[in-house]
Amino acid sequence: MADTTVKTIAEVEFGGELPTFAPDTSIEATRRFGKHVGWNTPRFTDHEGARKEGLPGAIVPGVMSQGFLGAMIHRWAPDAEIVAIDTVFRAPVQVDHPHTITGVVTDIDEDEGTVEIDITITNEAGENRVFGTATAKLPT
Amino acid sequence: MAEQEAVDEDIKDLRERFLNREFDEVTFEIDGSRFAEYAKVCGETAPKFTDPSHPDFQAPPTFVSTLVGGRNTPPDFPNLGGMGMDAGKGVEWKAPVRDGATLTGRSHLHDIYTKTGRSGRMVFLVTRMELFDQEGTHIANADTRTVIRERPRG
Repeated sequence: MADTTVKTIAEVEFGGELPTFAPDTSIEATRRFGKHVGWNTPRFTDHEGARKEGLPGAIVPGVMSQGFLGAMIHRWAPDAEIVAIDTVFRAPVQVDHPHTITGVVTDIDEDEGTVEIDITITNEAGENRVFGTATAKLPT
Repeated sequence: MAEQEAVDEDIKDLRERFLNREFDEVTFEIDGSRFAEYAKVCGETAPKFTDPSHPDFQAPPTFVSTLVGGRNTPPDFPNLGGMGMDAGKGVEWKAPVRDGATLTGRSHLHDIYTKTGRSGRMVFLVTRMELFDQEGTHIANADTRTVIRERPRG
């Protein structure tokens, strides 16, 4: 498992793993997101309110999960420009449950200066909740 | 097989009638304090995303997914009979979004497709919002993928 950052595309290895990232999925985080960004409704900010909607508890907004993926890439490659990212919400990310984000480099285009990355948010049971693919441009 | 072909025909009809037809336009005043909070809550640590005093202060690329249009489908789009759920978000980034910018978001249906499994057919609608700055420069595309699980027939 890598735990370092990269600065240029020459430092990126095909099949290399990005440093694992544990996003803040606490109720305090979703409430802060709700207050400042949006999605300030009980299904995201209140466990009991979410249960009344038939959910097992509050869930993380999808747009916040997508933001986790972008942050993970920038933590790994601070000078990367994410030029495309596609995120699939397979299942809810439950608030106050630990989740882990892993990523792997699936392609390197040195001519274009871009890398392709697959990223997955997994819960404590090892179930994939969110899957993403990203294209990031790195300095050459 | 015949039923599958008939199913595909209705999607073909929807695609011909609705794809690439602009149906919504919204203006957004971009507040740097909002995208800085977004960045911090999502785990960004780079000052260019979190510190308004940074000379290259800008929104993280995924921030445009938080810009919501007036509607997701054209006003004359048919009710497909199931409840729509958010299945995913996509972003194509072209240029930085800055504090104080005024953006115009224009939406169209970018794709309509299906997946069929044991529990029936799911229809996916991809709504694309194209974002332009004050000078008319195309700075990003923000896609929302909505899935509609059709009720079983019979």
